[in-house]
Amino acid sequence: MEGLEQIPEEFSFEKEKEIARSFSKRFQWEMMLIGVGQATIWLCLWPLVIYGYISLALGSFIAIICACFAYLPSHEAQHGNFSRGNPKRRWIDSFVSHFTLITLMFPHDLMRCTHMKHHAYTNNSEKDPDYDTSSSKSIWDVIVATQAGITKYQSIAEIYKNDKVFMKSFNKGLNIGLVYRAILLILVVIFPLETLLLWWLPSKIGVIYLSAFFGWYPHYQTETGRYKDTRFWTHWMPRYLNHSMQLHFIHHLHPGIGHYDEPKAIEALKPFLVARKVPGAEEIPERVKYNPLIRL
Amino acid sequence: MDKLETILSNHISKWNMVWFGLIFWGSVFNAIAIQFEVMLGSLIWYLSGLALGLIAKIRGTWLWKV
Repeated sequence: MEGLEQIPEEFSFEKEKEIARSFSKRFQWEMMLIGVGQATIWLCLWPLVIYGYISLALGSFIAIICACFAYLPSHEAQHGNFSRGNPKRRWIDSFVSHFTLITLMFPHDLMRCTHMKHHAYTNNSEKDPDYDTSSSKSIWDVIVATQAGITKYQSIAEIYKNDKVFMKSFNKGLNIGLVYRAILLILVVIFPLETLLLWWLPSKIGVIYLSAFFGWYPHYQTETGRYKDTRFWTHWMPRYLNHSMQLHFIHHLHPGIGHYDEPKAIEALKPFLVARKVPGAEEIPERVKYNPLIRL
Repeated sequence: MDKLETILSNHISKWNMVWFGLIFWGSVFNAIAIQFEVMLGSLIWYLSGLALGLIAKIRGTWLWKV
């Protein structure tokens, strides 16, 4: 752990972890609701548009919103934040993640194994699967990088080809990706414009949104290292519209903290983050506005 | 079975853009043409999709090179 020797005892890693753990217990019901909810709404759009109850333009607009909400519930599931280590509840992680990712056409297993590597090697130019977006110099570069879709992970597979656990998950994910592709190609023959505007286009916009706010902004111009690879940043956009990714750094430090518990955790951990010189930590407000999010 | 899987996998990795162009973009172009009552026949729109896929395969990307 870098820089450990210069840190006063009161800000020790053990104490930091203890505080973080107190925010890592709650069942993330909001995320489950968002994940299952958006995917259900998205599925309902198909009959509603096909039978003419709503216009294709309106359906497409709603589908884009659904796509922007699709990843975060899966992200919680990838970290096991629904099951919280309870083997009997692991099916919830799996179900929520698979179901919510339908909108984005992303396979859960592929996302999970590459995301774990992103955490392990954040900002490492060779080993971080998300380095292409996190190292982008502008939002345009992020958009260009997203064109590759899941095929960008092919080169990552080459790096981790000897990691059996990774490859098992990776190959399973690839197969699911192929199924998605096959379904898309069948649907487009039957419902061409609906497939374009309810699935293909929303998924592309969702992935750009995801890459910009999850992959790029939090890691923009940061280095490697536990307390250096993610930053606190501010944005003109209300944080509900960018999934509070200004607070993403706390997730990189303690992935077990539930997304909607992050504001409280950051308030409690601010002195630790300042002591560790987390990029932007001094700008963290004493009270994160509209907190806590759990009281919706 | 394994051999079939390998052949299929190789084919998809080499020709996926071409198939995607033909089926996906061909269907979309055809549907747009019908919507706007451009009666040139379906074949031309599917060929356009195929051409788009072939160009993408040659360039290695649909839009911009990374």
